[in-house]
Amino acid sequence: MKRLLPFLLGAALGLSAATSALAIERGGSMSFARYDDSSIIDPVWADRNPDLWMITSLYETLLRNGADGVIEPGLAESYEVSADGKSIALKLRDGLKFSDGSPITGDDVVFSLDRARNPDGPWAGLLGSVEKVTAEGGKLTLSLKQPDPTIPSILATFNTGIISKAAFEKAAGANDQEKAKAYFDNNPVTSGPFTMKSRVAGSSMSFARNPNYWRAGEDGKPLPYLDEVDFVVIPDDATRILKLQAGEVDVAEFIPFARVGELRGDANLKMELFPSTRIIYAPINTRDTRKDGSKNPLADIKVRQALNYATDKTMLIKLVTFDTGKPMTSLMSAATQLHYGPEPLYPYNPEKAKQLLAEAGIDGGLDITFTTLAGSADDATLFTALQQMWAPLGVNLKVEQVDNPTRGAKNRSGEFDIHTYGWANDVNDPAQVTGWLGYYKQRQAVGTGWNNDEFNTLFEASNSEVDPAKRKDEYKRMQEIYAENAPLLFLYETPFAVAVSKSIEDYVQTPLGANDFSAAWRAK
Amino acid sequence: MASISYLVARLLQIIPTFLLVMVFIFLLVRMLPGDPAIAMAEAKATDAQVEQIRHNLGLDQPLPVQFVIFVKNTLTGDLGRSIMLKAPVTEVILDRLPTTIFLALYSVVLAIVLAGPLAFLAASRVNTTTDVVIRSVFQIGLSMPVFYIGLVLLTVLAAQLRWFPVGGYGKNFLDNLHHLILPALSVALYTSAIILRNLRASLIEVLDADYVQFARAKGLSTRIIMTRHVLRNALVSTVTLLGLSIGNLMSGTLVTETVFAIPGVGRLMLEAIFARDYPLIQGLTLTFAVLVSVVFLLTDIVQSMLDPRLRKA
Repeated sequence: MKRLLPFLLGAALGLSAATSALAIERGGSMSFARYDDSSIIDPVWADRNPDLWMITSLYETLLRNGADGVIEPGLAESYEVSADGKSIALKLRDGLKFSDGSPITGDDVVFSLDRARNPDGPWAGLLGSVEKVTAEGGKLTLSLKQPDPTIPSILATFNTGIISKAAFEKAAGANDQEKAKAYFDNNPVTSGPFTMKSRVAGSSMSFARNPNYWRAGEDGKPLPYLDEVDFVVIPDDATRILKLQAGEVDVAEFIPFARVGELRGDANLKMELFPSTRIIYAPINTRDTRKDGSKNPLADIKVRQALNYATDKTMLIKLVTFDTGKPMTSLMSAATQLHYGPEPLYPYNPEKAKQLLAEAGIDGGLDITFTTLAGSADDATLFTALQQMWAPLGVNLKVEQVDNPTRGAKNRSGEFDIHTYGWANDVNDPAQVTGWLGYYKQRQAVGTGWNNDEFNTLFEASNSEVDPAKRKDEYKRMQEIYAENAPLLFLYETPFAVAVSKSIEDYVQTPLGANDFSAAWRAK
Repeated sequence: MASISYLVARLLQIIPTFLLVMVFIFLLVRMLPGDPAIAMAEAKATDAQVEQIRHNLGLDQPLPVQFVIFVKNTLTGDLGRSIMLKAPVTEVILDRLPTTIFLALYSVVLAIVLAGPLAFLAASRVNTTTDVVIRSVFQIGLSMPVFYIGLVLLTVLAAQLRWFPVGGYGKNFLDNLHHLILPALSVALYTSAIILRNLRASLIEVLDADYVQFARAKGLSTRIIMTRHVLRNALVSTVTLLGLSIGNLMSGTLVTETVFAIPGVGRLMLEAIFARDYPLIQGLTLTFAVLVSVVFLLTDIVQSMLDPRLRKA
């Protein structure tokens, strides 16, 4: 599986041999039907996916995530981490320009990174180890409080996109957040492959080609190939697909998995399933007692393992994702860096489940509440399937349907047995997802209350480990511990399903969800 | 004179309505399950960040304090800042409102154009085949949910026959008429079914009334009988119904605007509720309340013009 991944990613990025340089054609526009509108495409203040996944189209980062997840040079042509790991030196390329023709300087970088460290911003924590950013001409230095192996990945993450200091400071507003909104609303100066051409809130948006973008295409001339990308906002799944089938748009994102098979049969379309870091899982409350004071059977590791063995993942993948998903092999998706998981976790084995429950001393049946999202068809299917799969074990599974904020509140207060949840990485580094799912001090290991000393110590050590080989080992061990302890019901990974017209080539949604139009082109 | 004092009295009635609406909105939003700070913070936020959001929103203040601030700000036109869209609520609503009003008026006009003439036709040929056919067709419109009619229209007229665009919004007035015809039609089919049934019934009743028989006997022309005697009397109850259905229509926009990808306040309301965007939900509910009050006011005025007896009330 792991071996296939670079190939899959390479193919998805259009770098495979199948796409020859000769075929590429420049010009034209592409229209894209989205499920939701952007409200502020700003590296620092954006916090919703429709915003986050557009940022790198407008704002280039110092480093970039390469095809196989390796960090590559971006606006910075090189970077070097000092021997003690406490300082990172970068060198800006020569001749870089913003979309308005003004030069991209070290000052702009310092300004952008200082903004990104504003403690009020939702992503400031990603740069928590940075003490100071300085520039001398094009030479940049990041001084760190302690070594932090994630910094190169963060310098390739949307929140460190480079903004023009001069242009941003002219924007109206009493504070940085208001300025950011005003900047975004008034066709901002950009450093990425595109500029904002126009926008009608809630309805449509247009990106135009940034003539000053630095990266070259396969024909040696600057990217992007397209002159324009036009977005329309169509929240309803059925309408979005109709719009694509009527030929009014070239791309429709977030195709419901139930419709994937049908669209595969459409001769005018390519049904893309981009590998993603999205995982669907169910946190299990591992605390000794439930919120109501009663004894919690799920505190026993054997009970949690039994429930995992009693769950037929292949069946769930068929029922919910219509065979587009894959079983989880680790706490993190296979598309995450430093992933370790040689085989699917807890293959379906009802006998073993029964045996584990017996060892745990459970014989008089087990009452468990499964908290789901009201109105979610996927959750309803999950519940019904699990109820049937677990019934032979004597598990009486009850459902509790709540809305999203209530589910979030229950996760925080620990007032649940098992509930549905999902995750996708924002950063091309395993620390984010690992901290989220397993580190007790962050959010009590995704609300499960699982507090494993060895895991916590390894996580803390890995966060300042400068030796990549050692860090890799630490991650391997953490994933083993996590899998064995099963604070989750491990369910499945899902891809990003996007339907694309046959006339559009090389549009990519990255494993982190970002839309990459920079190398997309239209065949005439 | 009488009609002016009627108007003033009618306008004054709006004030207590609004006060009640404000109390209601304030409490209702706060009674929704789920903590807005958690809803907004996204799962990834730490507990400290959630606390910060709660503080920024003033949600850590006692309820009465929150209410006083809410009323004070609302009266000065400050509805707060949308959490989801990171912009002033007033600005966001004013930006989206014209679209919804356009859609509402468009569908009302379509409904009247559809139902009016057919009601006359049906009423003038009571219990003939024409009457039965017209009534059955509109009965279907009445019994299907608006979103379903919308999806059928979209699939057949837009995606397959490609006569109309699949959802979205136009760039100018004519473009809008073209873009919004399917959503307007799907709402209009429902409204027109209600109008048709009511108008047909009152027409039949009025056509049979003594004063119409008398007018005929006097030898008045059909046109004068119809406009001066029949229509005027038959319309009174239909206007009431139309006013009420415009109120309903406002809630119908929540669904229609989502299915047809129209950037109006209905869809915005749905998004705001899912995001627990308190300031935006409050602002939108208030807006809906104002709109419905205005429609009811206009309905009353039109009625008092049609039926002078009402002015004394």
